[in-house]
Amino acid sequence: MTSLGQFYPVASPVHDLDPRAKIVATAVLVAGLFLIDSTVGLLFVAVALVALVGASRIPVRDFLRLLRPVLFIVVLTVVFQVLFSREGTTVFQWGFLEVHAGGLRLALFLTLRILLLVGVAGVLTATTAPVELADGIEDLLSPLKRLRFPAHEVAMMMTIALRFIPTLGEEAEKIRGAQAARGADFSEGGPLRRARSLVPVLVPLTVGAFRRADELAEAMESRGYKGGEGRTRYRELRFRARDALALCITVLVLLIGVLL
Amino acid sequence: MRLELRDVHHVYAAGTPFEVAALRGVSLTVEPGEVLGIVGGTGSGKSTLVRHMNLLLLPAGGEVLVDGVDATTLKKSELRRRVGLVFQFPEAALFAPTVDEDVAFAPRRLGLDEDEVRERVRESLGLLGVGDLAGRSPFALSGGEKRRVAIAGVLAMGPEVLVLDEPTAGLDPATRGELLDLIRHLREAGVAVVLVSHDLDEVAEVADRVCALHAGRVCAIGTPAEVFYRDPGLAPVTVRVASLLQESRPEIGEPVRFGETVAALSALSGV
Amino acid sequence: MQNPGTGTRPGGSFAVSCEELTFSYPGSKERALSGISFELRPGEYVGLVGPNGGGKSTLVRLLNGLLRPESGSVRVSGHDPATEPFEVRKHLGVLFQNPENGLVAPFVEDDVAFGLENLGVPREEMRARVAQAIRGVGLEGYERREPHTLSGGEKQRVALAGLLAVEPEILVLDEPTSMLDAAGRREVLEHLEVLRSRKTVLHVTHHLEELLNADRVLVLNGGELVADESPERLLADPELLRENRLILPVVPRLALALGLRANFKTPEELAGTILTGAGSGTRSG
Repeated sequence: MTSLGQFYPVASPVHDLDPRAKIVATAVLVAGLFLIDSTVGLLFVAVALVALVGASRIPVRDFLRLLRPVLFIVVLTVVFQVLFSREGTTVFQWGFLEVHAGGLRLALFLTLRILLLVGVAGVLTATTAPVELADGIEDLLSPLKRLRFPAHEVAMMMTIALRFIPTLGEEAEKIRGAQAARGADFSEGGPLRRARSLVPVLVPLTVGAFRRADELAEAMESRGYKGGEGRTRYRELRFRARDALALCITVLVLLIGVLL
Repeated sequence: MRLELRDVHHVYAAGTPFEVAALRGVSLTVEPGEVLGIVGGTGSGKSTLVRHMNLLLLPAGGEVLVDGVDATTLKKSELRRRVGLVFQFPEAALFAPTVDEDVAFAPRRLGLDEDEVRERVRESLGLLGVGDLAGRSPFALSGGEKRRVAIAGVLAMGPEVLVLDEPTAGLDPATRGELLDLIRHLREAGVAVVLVSHDLDEVAEVADRVCALHAGRVCAIGTPAEVFYRDPGLAPVTVRVASLLQESRPEIGEPVRFGETVAALSALSGV
Repeated sequence: MQNPGTGTRPGGSFAVSCEELTFSYPGSKERALSGISFELRPGEYVGLVGPNGGGKSTLVRLLNGLLRPESGSVRVSGHDPATEPFEVRKHLGVLFQNPENGLVAPFVEDDVAFGLENLGVPREEMRARVAQAIRGVGLEGYERREPHTLSGGEKQRVALAGLLAVEPEILVLDEPTSMLDAAGRREVLEHLEVLRSRKTVLHVTHHLEELLNADRVLVLNGGELVADESPERLLADPELLRENRLILPVVPRLALALGLRANFKTPEELAGTILTGAGSGTRSG
């Protein structure tokens, strides 16, 4: 199974939601998180997020793995705030190192916000198959077609990318193996040396990708593809009551968070 | 060199829900200077098997031995020089600006001096019949030419065992014949060849021994006659024809190659 | 050869007709095709063979409008692919050599629907036709599979289903089995057998054993049509085979070496004839 890294295929009410609702909800939350100015407000949203993760039947351990990439930024933020803020009462002192209460509060606030931002986006990608995401984005962007925005073309590109990423991955693995069989070593030397050692993999991969694109284009044209004009869609997105409900809940949670 | 696989196991994605046992205890040998054919359907483990021969894949169980020595104790670059592996559709890995630069890649990696490298390149390209393509860009060649350049690139290492994974896949029949000639030539030069192929007629023509794989296990190994006559329904055409006649005319014996089949059948009265 | 005039009449009775078709690739001095003329009658199963670089792939692309002829004419179901390519593509579908690069969607059923989407077919009708096409190639249960998890034979069958869903009268197969292993080849050829007489088929291949039941075989070499024969006549002509770098399949080759005629298709037929030791009737010459 592919799993573009993040999608966790399991059955849950969150997985079942219309991707458009989820995308809009995510966008609203992400923007709204910057409107919340109290730690309590963020904590409330955090509790709601935990409930959401529970409802999506994703094992906690797998979900936490999604947060790992930002750990570095979080640590950096905490260290920066804790060591350099001079607000509030002094909590701890050692030589010219001063830790103030204000710094600790701000560190907590910023950490929560970073984690929530990543967490919300993480729920979106973990509960929505890449193909559905592409469909949802295409649909949401389609009104822009009136403004000459190539919504269909963008969606087509996303779908094709999704289709070929696993294939290109396998191809890269194969080429790497073929060059290793000829004595290539990808792990020796400093960063510059290692980058150069990738040339025998990247060049054929790129050339192969262009050739693939040519053949695919021929196949698509041969099957009558002529752009988005007059094209119907096999896949269907159905916006139901539960999707509207999910959106309302999202807005509500946000409002409460802001007010707290 | 004698290459041996002893009870080799391999598992993909171990410990995950996608775990799959590709090899379940495969034992075979590649004797010096022989042509060993490896046959089996999709999913039988052929490609996984050959990747163990140069330790591109490490066995999850069992051992790979080179002249009786555990291959994992050898220097990787040394092993990969002595056991040359040519992947399926190897032309996908061509990358250099010119053909001779590409073929020079492996010899250069071995640390040989430029004169030696040039000599190796010249020799390998000549062996594959593409010497006149030396200065061309690999990307501008035909499919058959590219295939030959890719094989030359591995031969330039001077391996003792050459492993070919479906070397004739996608080639037109005329070019296939030329590759089979190459295999025969290599055998004469003392290079052992492991030929993985789904084309049984091809294997029948050049193999000294055949190993049949099924679901990650060896289900038959021996001379071509021994292996192919066990299950004549899934055998080269020559064996299929001969086996249909064996019952009433046992004097035909068990011919496998085209020439010997013609001889055996012609000897029947009335033909 | 047929009277060249008949095929070029609009609404002529041929499925495909070419007259004096000529084409060169830009920047190339040599002609890829020089004055090719032939017709395909509705329901015919015609093979196309010849050495690589002889013009077969070029011809395929001229038939479906991917390329435009330098001179000469092409008619597919009465339409000209150079001026009405999208009309032609409703009537003529192409199955390409590389199973990987013909599949455009992340799921099997979406890919099979691709051609129908392009035609603007309403969703309800699409669902029915996609389901039927998938059944037609024996891939029920594969609807939500991802292409990269399929074997070569399965991928080609998906591509075939995608073509059949559009219901073209004419199918052009451009070396559809050359990148497949023995099992995949069998799978695909099995399903192609079913199309015989229901569709007009032009089957380009290097494997003569795939054309033993064809109505005719065209031989294209150096851009010229050098022969238009029945498969039996072709197999029995060693000169023709050698000149065009064609290799006899093993069964006919074995038969010839044993002094019999080349027209044996299966090992069983050949063995049967040898057993009965049939006399001079089956000997060549």
